[in-house]
Amino acid sequence: MKKLLSLLIALVAFAIVGCGGGDKKSDGKGEPQVLNLFSWADNIDPAVIEKFEKENNCKVNYDVFANNEELLAKIQAGGAQYDVIQPSDYMVATMLKLGMLEELNLANIPNVKNIVSNLQAPAYDPTGKHSVVYTWGMTGIVYNKKYIKEAPTSWNDLWKDEYKGRIILLNDNREVIGMALKKNGHSNNSLNPQEVEAAVKDLKQLAPNVLAFDTDTIKQKFIAEEAWIGTMWTGDASYTYKDNKDIGFVIPKEGATIWADTFAIPKGAPHKELAEKFIDFMYDPKISAQNYEYIGYNDPNEKANEFHSEEFKNDPMLKIGRENIDKGEWLTDIGEALTMYDRYWTELKTGK
Amino acid sequence: MPKTWRSHVLCAYAMAILAFLYLPLLILALYSFNESRINAVWSGFTLDWYLALFKNRRVLEALTNSLIVAFASTIVSTVLGTTAAIALNKYQYKYKSVINGLLYLPILIPEIVMGLSLLVLFSQAHIPLGKTSLILAHITFCVSFVVITVNARLEGMRPELEQAAMDLYATPFQTFRYVTLPLAMPGIVAGALMAFTLSIDDFIISFFVAGPNSTTLPLYIYAMVKRGISPEINALSTLLMLATIILVIIAQLLQPQHVSKKEE
Repeated sequence: MKKLLSLLIALVAFAIVGCGGGDKKSDGKGEPQVLNLFSWADNIDPAVIEKFEKENNCKVNYDVFANNEELLAKIQAGGAQYDVIQPSDYMVATMLKLGMLEELNLANIPNVKNIVSNLQAPAYDPTGKHSVVYTWGMTGIVYNKKYIKEAPTSWNDLWKDEYKGRIILLNDNREVIGMALKKNGHSNNSLNPQEVEAAVKDLKQLAPNVLAFDTDTIKQKFIAEEAWIGTMWTGDASYTYKDNKDIGFVIPKEGATIWADTFAIPKGAPHKELAEKFIDFMYDPKISAQNYEYIGYNDPNEKANEFHSEEFKNDPMLKIGRENIDKGEWLTDIGEALTMYDRYWTELKTGK
Repeated sequence: MPKTWRSHVLCAYAMAILAFLYLPLLILALYSFNESRINAVWSGFTLDWYLALFKNRRVLEALTNSLIVAFASTIVSTVLGTTAAIALNKYQYKYKSVINGLLYLPILIPEIVMGLSLLVLFSQAHIPLGKTSLILAHITFCVSFVVITVNARLEGMRPELEQAAMDLYATPFQTFRYVTLPLAMPGIVAGALMAFTLSIDDFIISFFVAGPNSTTLPLYIYAMVKRGISPEINALSTLLMLATIILVIIAQLLQPQHVSKKEE
């Protein structure tokens, strides 16, 4: 029996070591470099990644997360050795505060200069040295022209009684409360309790008319015409428009939230040089033209314009005038006030 | 008369319960054949989504990751679990019931707690997150299930068989190799299939301990949903579901009670 036991132990040890070793072996085989990318699902044209792999004799491992908090937790726990991550604007601010982002060597990323100038040093990363805008857009009003004859112009239009049961708001406390704050002429990052309370009061009035607070399946609801009017991101509006040509999109006159997902390099990334090469590659005019056509978001790359198809250039959903960008406001880290927003949000959703 | 009335009600009740359990899955599967990109409207039958899946490199990578992790953790946890079950079954020692209980505990501990504790452990021990950490985590929760299934099989076995072998001058190894192991085999295979199924389906624990190059299918599906539910996700989920059902059926057929009945 003892012999048998030691045999089994040896077998188990072998199996464990064998498994552990397998990983490393495939990493070192033939010495192609590895780039560990942590991103949103389906966020980059696969053909573009393949091109990068071929040009640089490397393998891109594309892992996915579903929200910013998940990304933060993974990086915070340490041990996850990603080279390129894609946090959204406010998460860049949080990660900067926590000292989790590597400073980019912009000399290695000359194509950053191709980005529209007013997106180069946004509020959440004022020096522009820790993140690069990737997908960006604004939150506006989406509506169906079949049911809503007169194009909305103001956030106030959502409060019209005839849209009862046909309104969808994003399932996000900062977006929704920020929208009501904008409607009342305040900053969407307001720290003033009175302003926030007034905004929430208005939202509570709107709440009974709301069909759903939804971010994940909002596109389907507009394509199927379950919803007539609501708040939506530009990229999603473009997707929806492709399946339902009655969809219209406006950025209200009071101004709106502007947002972005970015490229950043976490502290201690094992392949920083390749990571910078990758980011630079993504802003090559031709590459970015191909990539943004695939993902259907606004291209921040000014030089790419000449390579874009007419269809993309004329997509009414993606047309954000410069005046709207200037009127737009980023959601910033509001610190302690977030608890107040969270409390109001719970009240709103539970109908208190 | 009242008998048939009663059986009708019972039958309807059973159907209702079955519908409650399986209707959502059926609808999910149905919409994977929907021509339209959106789930809300049915516009015609198509297999395009299944074809698209097999052309999607990310999906194939996630599938490969899932299979590597499932195979590795199944092999290790089956060996560990089987030896543990044999030891538990054969020998009497102090605190046996405590050790027994400790082996079953991982089944009852909330997965989220287990995932979190494994993540903390890995980061404390400086084990980089990736396939290795994922496999180690899966082995941890699979072992208990293997122990339970193998143990159930061993308990149904008569000790006389092993004694008879010993009587006939079989060495302990021969007894194990030619008597115990073959008799326990259905339990071992069922346990291995169980481990494989659990590993392939696991989301919560994987969610915590996955790292670079180790996105598994369930993790991929979850991240895809954020982009809006498309028939492609339905198709992928349907395939995952089918694989699970087949594995569970095989495991059920190999369950000790079936086999022992046949043998008797």
